Amino acid sequence: MSATLCVKLQRNQGWLPLIQSVRHGSKAVTRHKKPVHILKQKLIAVTQYIPPARTVPPGAYPSEEKHVQEDNEFVLLLKKNLEEVFEECKMIAVVQTNACSVDDMLMLRHRLCKHGIKIRFFPNQVMRSFLSNSVYSNMAPLFIGPTVLFVSKEPKVKEMMSALRFSPQMTLLGACIDNTLLSAQGVVSYAKLPSLTVVQGELVSGLTMLTSRTAFMLQHHPAHLSALLQQYIKQQSPDDGAEETPKAEEAS
Amino acid sequence: MAAISTVVLKAVKKITIQFCPFESNVRSTREFLALVGSEKVRSTNTNCEVISVVKHDKSEPVIDVTYVDGERLVMKGEWLTCREMLSAFQSRCKDKDPQIKAGAKK
Repeated sequence: MSATLCVKLQRNQGWLPLIQSVRHGSKAVTRHKKPVHILKQKLIAVTQYIPPARTVPPGAYPSEEKHVQEDNEFVLLLKKNLEEVFEECKMIAVVQTNACSVDDMLMLRHRLCKHGIKIRFFPNQVMRSFLSNSVYSNMAPLFIGPTVLFVSKEPKVKEMMSALRFSPQMTLLGACIDNTLLSAQGVVSYAKLPSLTVVQGELVSGLTMLTSRTAFMLQHHPAHLSALLQQYIKQQSPDDGAEETPKAEEAS
Repeated sequence: MAAISTVVLKAVKKITIQFCPFESNVRSTREFLALVGSEKVRSTNTNCEVISVVKHDKSEPVIDVTYVDGERLVMKGEWLTCREMLSAFQSRCKDKDPQIKAGAKK
């Protein structure tokens, strides 16, 4: 920028200094930044230093992936209870209770105990974590808000529905009967089904209807013939008896 | 999330809440039902019926409130929070309540 005259200072005292820097290419006031030429700008942009990405040494920060918390013992106990409930009981109904009073709850418990239906309560979180790991994961969306389980070993749906009719604030949401998930309407139609023996009898009668009809048709003619013959014999025998008795009377 | 002031159902004739529990958008509706169906709230007006209808047809959850003077408030709870529904309901109940009281006094 400046052409400096670098000449060694000779030992001339009183003379003007021989090294004089001449300002070249700049104005008097040099506080403002001089605009950089476009070519120089481009060059600087292209040759800019990009430092290598500094990797964090392993073990520097704690890993953030540990969201899975181990269950505490109480939760494990509850899950064990839940497993037993699901294994033993054929009918598990989910009912939403809207803060019913203690008296109503007691009455309901009493009515259901008569038919062997128990009321059980589990926290929703425990319930949902248990269901997500088990086969019954489709029941999980039912467990929101205040819910209670009605469990029983035998599927006594009619008695449960009649007991629920007395307490209108309990809403039946769904049920798992014989490992089958049913909605509220499904439970109602299940209650209207006839018992198993009746259904089996109907099925058997429907299947054997055709064969019994064939057998009847085959036996129809001989049966009719034998009936006619019997009738003829009966008619003959009173005639013989009537002839014999007048002959006996005549004889006597 | 409990309401700050309990709901008074004096001006309400009937509340019908219908939802499909297997859908994922029913949380707020169920919470509203839990709040409105509780003993405390229902005891403010024993003539008011709270009917819950459980369906299974992927329909959206609807809360239908019929007031004593015949007005109806229909809230579709799919995208509303429980608080919003409750505040709308409570404000209308409060508006109707003093009207009824003033009418009774006259």
